[in-house]
Amino acid sequence: MKSRVFQALVIGALVNGAAAGAQTIGHAAPTVAAPESGTTVVSGRTVAASDSSHSYAAQALRFETHWGSADIIRGADGPVIGTVGWFRDFDVEKLVASSPQAVTEARAFKTNNFRGSLVGGIGALTLAVGTLITANSSNNAASPILIIAGAGAMVWGVQHLNAGYSKLSRAFWWYNRDLTR
Amino acid sequence: MSRLPRFCLVGYLILISSPTAMAQDRSYDQNALRLDGHFGDVSIVRGIDGTVVGRIGVFRGIDVAKVVEASPNAVTEAREFQRNYRPGTIALGLGLISLGASVGASQFHDMNRGITTGLTIATVGLITYGGGRLQQAYNALHKSLWWYNRDLK
Repeated sequence: MKSRVFQALVIGALVNGAAAGAQTIGHAAPTVAAPESGTTVVSGRTVAASDSSHSYAAQALRFETHWGSADIIRGADGPVIGTVGWFRDFDVEKLVASSPQAVTEARAFKTNNFRGSLVGGIGALTLAVGTLITANSSNNAASPILIIAGAGAMVWGVQHLNAGYSKLSRAFWWYNRDLTR
Repeated sequence: MSRLPRFCLVGYLILISSPTAMAQDRSYDQNALRLDGHFGDVSIVRGIDGTVVGRIGVFRGIDVAKVVEASPNAVTEAREFQRNYRPGTIALGLGLISLGASVGASQFHDMNRGITTGLTIATVGLITYGGGRLQQAYNALHKSLWWYNRDLK
């Protein structure tokens, strides 16, 4: 009896392996050929797919930006679970800890975000000081230098903030990928 | 011996979940979209390899709705992106030109103060309006890609 069960499991696994091969061929794979009863197998596959889709819908992360900060949102219209951006220190690494690749990208985001915020902030301050000096009609030779240096630092900072958000996008891509398992 | 098919079916059902998930993983790995930005150049890329599907641009940008047409929710958000992106970029561009003009005008001491004030107000208004529309556009784009990736089979 035990050997029959074992045989049955082996045969089942072999048939299943062939079916899995058929599934991975294309993006929209055709219905899997059933070994014994088509309806049972098809419904099993549908349940598995809908479970994973449900998991993605409920758990997958994305973000929405608002003037230099970004709200991290879970699900299509789900709750805001944290805010990142200018001098915010929400722990994204901890949030995506379940996916190693996502953690690497989250770390890169943190570095870029800090540098971008710091240099961009200093640049904005320098630009504002330079503009104020110029607006007060004082013939200070430093004002054009302050404006140019401030604008340059702001551009550098914005580039780093953009690079940071690209890393955040990648981090969530990896995190969401690992949800479907 | 008549129990054999039943055992086969049980064995199959026990093992069915893992290959299904594996197939879904491969589909995500190959087809899921994300945004990638380098020095002001924003692209939509596909899969682990990061194959560039298209670049986001004002005049010759990719048709995002067409890229995500497999998912109806993604198409809705892509249209929202397209509705906001061009006006946002144009307003922001005009705002930056106005900023340059207002800084330039402030250098001339005999310039009418009303002109400088007007340019400054226009600058703030255009940058705020353009930035707001661009934010709406990019938020819709992120959501569109999110829906597309969710609906990958």
